[in-house]
Amino acid sequence: MAVTNWVDHLSAKEVAGAVYPGVGTEGVLVLIAFVIWIGWHVISAKQESDKLSKLAKRRPGSNAWKNNVTDG
Amino acid sequence: MTDQLGALTTIFTEFYYWITVVLMFLIHVGFCMYEVGASRYKHHQHTLMKNTMLIPLVTVTWFLFGWWIYWAFPTGPGLAPSIMNESAALITDESAFSAKWYVPNSELMAVNLGDHISGVFWAAFLLFSWTAASIVSGAVIERITTFAFGILAIAIGSVFWTIDAAWGWHFDGWMLKLLGYHDAYASGVIHACAGGFALGVLAVLGPRIGKFSSSGEPRNIGPRNPWLVTVGLFLIYTGFWGFYAACNIPIFDLGPEYGMEGVTYWTATNIYVTPTTLSGITMNFLMSLSGGLLAGYVIGKGDPFWTYSSGLAGIICASAGNDLYHPIQSMIIGMIGVVIAYKMHYWVERKFKIDDAVGAVAVHGYAGFAGLVICGFVLNGYPSSGYSVGAMWDGTTYAAINPLGMFIGALVMFVVLGFIPGWIIAKVLHGMGKLRIPREVELAGLDYEIMEAAKEDEKAVASSSS
Repeated sequence: MAVTNWVDHLSAKEVAGAVYPGVGTEGVLVLIAFVIWIGWHVISAKQESDKLSKLAKRRPGSNAWKNNVTDG
Repeated sequence: MTDQLGALTTIFTEFYYWITVVLMFLIHVGFCMYEVGASRYKHHQHTLMKNTMLIPLVTVTWFLFGWWIYWAFPTGPGLAPSIMNESAALITDESAFSAKWYVPNSELMAVNLGDHISGVFWAAFLLFSWTAASIVSGAVIERITTFAFGILAIAIGSVFWTIDAAWGWHFDGWMLKLLGYHDAYASGVIHACAGGFALGVLAVLGPRIGKFSSSGEPRNIGPRNPWLVTVGLFLIYTGFWGFYAACNIPIFDLGPEYGMEGVTYWTATNIYVTPTTLSGITMNFLMSLSGGLLAGYVIGKGDPFWTYSSGLAGIICASAGNDLYHPIQSMIIGMIGVVIAYKMHYWVERKFKIDDAVGAVAVHGYAGFAGLVICGFVLNGYPSSGYSVGAMWDGTTYAAINPLGMFIGALVMFVVLGFIPGWIIAKVLHGMGKLRIPREVELAGLDYEIMEAAKEDEKAVASSSS
């Protein structure tokens, strides 16, 4: 339950400690966090894999990077 | 908080740990600078990004399960009963220090007016987790994929170091009870464990291209920016100070805690609830740093990379007993740790063709291992825990600190929870073809395309007339 009045909240017989929005929905939030965490690995792994394959196919020489140095 | 003294004590403790967290953030800043300074130009951005991304990965998983592991696993499970509930099962009951309160959907894992401490304590441990993962990060630069490193960072940062902390860095840990394990400032639980883990990964990952000649002779791929390495290490020293403070309980009355009738004894304690002083550990921190620097300068013949790294190795080696050592003992132990770390680094490099790019296994792993063994001799007979004074579940007390127990403890840290898991996970990732970047990319440089794009941008800007 959202807190709408701190005076009422703090003067209650038993002060509820949890004051964040959506108390009681923690399980759903944890589930969402798991999905975000695993999803991040899946998406970023694919991005990295594509990027590495693309560069590997181009086969730049070991000193080619020096041509890309900018002086700012 | 209904009385002023209770409120002051709570807020002081909350603020104390909060400050340590901020200080420890500098460890990570230092590691990032250090790694970029040690890597070659064509890999800089990837190196930095890899170490940066461990922050969210370890933090999220620490929230989801890492913190819970620390509170659930002190008994093993199955190795020694808890002093709280006399059961050897995972600690998930209703007791005050149970993992039950630290599941991610607990009301205490959030803004809670009834709990001012858990979050900062959670964060202090989390910063240790980042450090554990960052130790591995340095060793594997310039050839590991970000995906593989992310998995390995989570494994060491949110699982294996957490288990070892529960076993050997918790007042109810089975290693204290059965082995007399004592590791006040984490020679083993952070450094030996992460160093061993890094070695396991390196054994599978292999060396950087060109590190060894065709005859197997190692070649030096020195740091490209020694000044960045230097500043990075100074920041790590600074953050390490915050770490020392974070390992203490700043104010505690040991009289009632030890069951001493009518006795009041306020003091700072270490994580095992045995007394120490911030004054003493400050001297020991600086003297072991000094011992490390002195030894590193001589053994490295003035080489700046080894000298600065040795300052860190000196602290790490003395850390297990820096709550009780005399400062000169700390200095000497720091020096011994540096000699062992330096010699072992080059021996392992030649013998097993291990390419530890920043000397992480040496500075953290070997120095940490040596520190545990030395602590077993120097503090032989001291109580391993504040609860050694009371009877355990079967009428015995916690084992006292002893050389054999500390040696076995070092093996548990370095090998059982470090090397073996690192090697196995790296093997699995290697089997999936996800561990190492393609050879062509390693030669070209991980930043090749970013640099190429920057050059094109620069060209466009330079040729613009308006």
